Amino acid sequence: MLSLEQQQLLNTKLKTLLEHSEEISAALVTTVDGHLCAMHQQRNYSLDRLATMGSSLMSLGDTITAELKMGNCRNLISENESGIVTFMHINNLLVLITITLQKNALGLLLAHSRKAAEEMAKLL
Amino acid sequence: MKEIKLVFTGSMGAGKTTAISALSEIPVINTDVSATDEVIARKATTTVALDYGEMTLSDGQKLRLYGTPGQQRFAYMWKILMQGALGLIILVDNAGENPLGDLELYLNHFHEDIEKTTAVIGVTRMDLSKKPNLAAYNDFLRKRNLHLPVFSVDVRRKQNVIMMVQALVAMLEY
Repeated sequence: MLSLEQQQLLNTKLKTLLEHSEEISAALVTTVDGHLCAMHQQRNYSLDRLATMGSSLMSLGDTITAELKMGNCRNLISENESGIVTFMHINNLLVLITITLQKNALGLLLAHSRKAAEEMAKLL
Repeated sequence: MKEIKLVFTGSMGAGKTTAISALSEIPVINTDVSATDEVIARKATTTVALDYGEMTLSDGQKLRLYGTPGQQRFAYMWKILMQGALGLIILVDNAGENPLGDLELYLNHFHEDIEKTTAVIGVTRMDLSKKPNLAAYNDFLRKRNLHLPVFSVDVRRKQNVIMMVQALVAMLEY
């Protein structure tokens, strides 16, 4: 779906995101139908599987939001015992997923992820 | 039994979403998104989480109808959706590249669920491809020591889908 050049741009953007935000331990871009397009991580997560699962979750978020007539789903947050995962649209075909292991970094994670998503949308 | 959970699964494009839409008395909840891969050659969208609909049988039993994504990379959803299900409807696209291979994939994946509950097989798009015929499907199942009903169905026709569902419900009751 994306050209190699576009994938490289996204990979570079994700690398920058992690360099500027030490709290973020992994970030990836997936298509809305679950294909991993770009990733960068400081851990060893299975990001292929996370890409597919993220597309399911984002779709459920969109479906719930539409059911409640709340406009577009801005983001989904999974707050967990050992960290936080956020999911948000870059555009109507791509989703950004970011992970932090710091339980108190939700605001920072959302702010940095939102900014990165907006910049990636402009890049494409 | 007042409420029964049934799951529709099967190959991509076999008609799971269409079958549930044909039956459901409520607006179907679906999670279709734009396809970005080879699927796009066959259809514009694909299910990535689930479909959900409801129908009531003439005796008042309510059926909760769940549809799985077809593509194997979403297999984690298959497991989630089978929790609490009492029956499985496997749809196979007879115009696909390898219909019996597709059936084998789903039988293998769901074999524990089929042993615990039961299943029926619906073969779709037989108007576009006559082979394998229903006898071939029955032979295939017999060799696996499975005795499951096989139907040729047009999932756009409500009566066709009801026939499969009624067969499945009857198997659950008897």
